[in-house]
Amino acid sequence: MKLWYSFIKEVKLASRGFYFYIELFMALLLLLILIFVVPENFESRQSEYIHLDLPKTVKKAYIKEIKDKDLDGKVEKVEIENDDKVINSRLYKTEDKEIYIIDDKKDVIKLADKKQKIGAVIKLDNKNNLDYEYYLQGYESNRLKNLILIIHNVGTDTIKTVFNKQDVRPLSTDYEVLTDRENLIPSFLTFNGSLMGLFIIAAYIFLDKQEGVIKAYAVTASTVREYLLSKVGVLLLTTIVSSFIIVVPVMGLKPNYLLLLVFLFTTGFFASSLGLLVASFYKNIMQAFGTIYLLMIAMIIPNIAYFIPSWNPTLIKILPTYPMLEGFKEIIKESGDVSYILTISLVFLIIGLILFEIANKRYKKTLTV
Amino acid sequence: MITVKNLYHSYNKDDNFAVKDVSFEVKNGEIFGFLGPSGAGKSTTQGILTGLLKLQKGNVSVAGYDVKEIKQKMFNKIGMSFEQSNVYSKLTAKENLEFYRKLFDVETYKPEELLNLVGLEGKENIKAGEFSKGMKHRLTFARSMINNPELWFLDEPTTGLDPAIASQIKDIIKQKNANGVTIFLTTHNMFIADELCDRVAFIVDGEIKLIDSPKNLKLQYGDNLIDVEYINNGETIIETYSTVLEKDKKSLKNIIENYEIQTMHTKEATLEEIFIKVTGRELI
Ligand SMILES: Nc1ncnc2c1ncn2[C@@H]1O[C@H](COP(=O)(O)OP(=O)(O)OP(=O)(O)O)[C@@H](O)[C@H]1O
Ligand SMILES: [Mg+2]
Repeated sequence: MKLWYSFIKEVKLASRGFYFYIELFMALLLLLILIFVVPENFESRQSEYIHLDLPKTVKKAYIKEIKDKDLDGKVEKVEIENDDKVINSRLYKTEDKEIYIIDDKKDVIKLADKKQKIGAVIKLDNKNNLDYEYYLQGYESNRLKNLILIIHNVGTDTIKTVFNKQDVRPLSTDYEVLTDRENLIPSFLTFNGSLMGLFIIAAYIFLDKQEGVIKAYAVTASTVREYLLSKVGVLLLTTIVSSFIIVVPVMGLKPNYLLLLVFLFTTGFFASSLGLLVASFYKNIMQAFGTIYLLMIAMIIPNIAYFIPSWNPTLIKILPTYPMLEGFKEIIKESGDVSYILTISLVFLIIGLILFEIANKRYKKTLTV
Repeated sequence: MITVKNLYHSYNKDDNFAVKDVSFEVKNGEIFGFLGPSGAGKSTTQGILTGLLKLQKGNVSVAGYDVKEIKQKMFNKIGMSFEQSNVYSKLTAKENLEFYRKLFDVETYKPEELLNLVGLEGKENIKAGEFSKGMKHRLTFARSMINNPELWFLDEPTTGLDPAIASQIKDIIKQKNANGVTIFLTTHNMFIADELCDRVAFIVDGEIKLIDSPKNLKLQYGDNLIDVEYINNGETIIETYSTVLEKDKKSLKNIIENYEIQTMHTKEATLEEIFIKVTGRELI
C-alpha cells in the first residue's frame, strides 16, 4: 500500500518535472520521423535489366517463372528514360528484385552503364544451357562475382539442394518480414526506453538528493526499497507508454503486445536498476555525468552495429542493448521467437533484481550523503 | 526513551572520530537539549539515533528499539524535523503532508490541522518550491509531527525564523511536551535551550562535557544576582543581592515588602556564559 502511494506521488512529481516529458516527447518525435521521414523501405529492391536472347518457347518458360515470383502476378509496362531515349520494358517485381525485361540488347548495356545497375543478357549456349552474360559496374565485390559464377556454373538443381540444406536463421529472414521502417523500431525502443530510462531515473534520484527528501523518507515507517521501487515504477510507466506511442501507429495489431509488455517491463527494470546503482555513487548529476555518458555510449554501440549488418563483433553481444534489440525485433515480427524473448526477459529480470538489491543496500548506507 | 552507551563514529572509519565515547540517557517525557558549536557532532549523533547513519561502535536504544538493527516500524513512534528543510518543492504544502502521512502505520494528523498549527493556513495549495525559507522550515517542522510521535527529534527548530513565528514554534514544542512527548532538541541557540530544556548536554569536539538541567547549571556556575533600585527616604538606592544566599534572600524580601521598587534586574549568568565557562569554547 505504501508502495502504491509512493508510486502515485512519484508519478505526480514526475509529471510536474521536465524529464518525464523528454521520453514522451522523444517517442512522439521518433514516431513522426518513422512515419514522415523514413520510407517504408529505403532502397526498395535491387534493379536488374535483362534481355532475353532466347528461342520463343524457352523465353516463354523463363518469363513465366519470373511472373510466378512477381508479388502481384501482374506485369507493368514501364518506360525508362535514358539519355533522351525512351526504352520500353516490362517490369516484374519480386520480393528482392525489380526485373526489367528489355527488348534490345544494346539498351541493356547502356542502362547498366548509365543507371549503375546490374544488366544481363540471357541466351542459350550450344549445349542448350542458359548462358548469362553480366554487365557489372566494376565495383561489385568478389563475393558477388563469385556468387554469380557459382549460380550459373552449377545446375539449378544443385543450388536448390544447397539452399534446402541451409539452416535459415531468423536474422536472415528479417528483411523479408520487416520493412525498413519497422526494422528501425527495435533501435528506437531500445534507445528511448532503456537508454533514456537509465539517464532519467538517475536524474530523478539526483533531484531528490538535492532536495534532501530521501532523508525524510528514511525516517518513516516505509522502506528505502519501497522508495526505489516507486521510482522504478514511474520509469516503467513512461517507458511502456512511450514505446507504445512508437509501436502502435506503425505496427498496428501485428506485434504480440503481451510479449512486448513483458519485455519492456524486464528490460526497463534492468535499465532503471542500473541507473539507480550508478546514481548511488555520486552526489549530483554533474559528478555522475561522465559515467552515465560512457555507459550510454557503450550501450549505443549495438544500436549502430544493428544498421551495419557486416559489422557484428562478438564483443558487442555482451552489451545488454544487443539482446534488447534482438528481442524487440522478435516481438514485432509476426513469427517472432517467443522462447527467445522469454529467455532474455528472464535474464534481464534476474540481473535487474541483483542490481536493484545492490543499489538498495547502497542507498541504505548513504542516506545522509 | 533513549539510551546511548559509549558511542563512537568516524566518517572515514579511522581514528578521526566525529563522535567519541558519548553516553547519555533521555528520560520519558523530558526535553533534552543537545548543545554544541558547529562541527561538534550533534548531527552525527542524531543521525545515528535515527538510523540515517550506521551504528559503528557503542550501544544505542531508541524508543525501545536497538538501533543496531533499524526496524522501519520504529519510526511510527518517532518524528524528525531537519535542520535543512527537505520537502518536495514540486508538491504543494498539502500534498507533501498528504503523501508523508501515508508512510506511517499509525494514526496521523490531517494536513490542514498541521498547516494551521504552524501558521501556514491559506497556503495549502501552494507548491513548497514557492515558499520562503521560513515557510519551508515550518512545513518541515509540521511534517515531523504528523504521526503524533512519542519521541521527537528537532534539529534547530527555530533557526532562521522571525521571532513571532519562533515563539509560536516554541509554544507548540512546550504543548507537545506537556502532552507527554519526549523531545531531543539539537541547537546552538542557548536561549531556546534554556527556555525549553529540562536537561542539556554540552558537546564539543565529539565529546560530551557535561549534562545537567539549566537550573542546576546556573546554580552551580552562574552567579545569580539581582540589582535592586528602590527609594528610601526620598533617596534612590541601588543594591545587589544574591538569589542563592539565605541572608541576601531575606534582605531582598524585606526591601520588596517595605520599599517602593524602581527597577529590579537579574544579573543571571546565561547558559551561553556557562557553556563558555565550562567548555572554554564559543558557541558558534
Ligand atoms: N558526511 C560527512 N563526511 C565526513 N565528515 C563529516 C560528515 N558529516 C559531518 N562530518 C564531520 O563530523 C564532525 C561533526 O559534524 P556534525 O555535522 O555532527 O556537527 P554538528 O554539531 O551537527 O554541527 P552544526 O551545528 O554545524 O550542524 C565535523 O567535523 C564534520 O566535519
Ligand atoms: Mg548539524
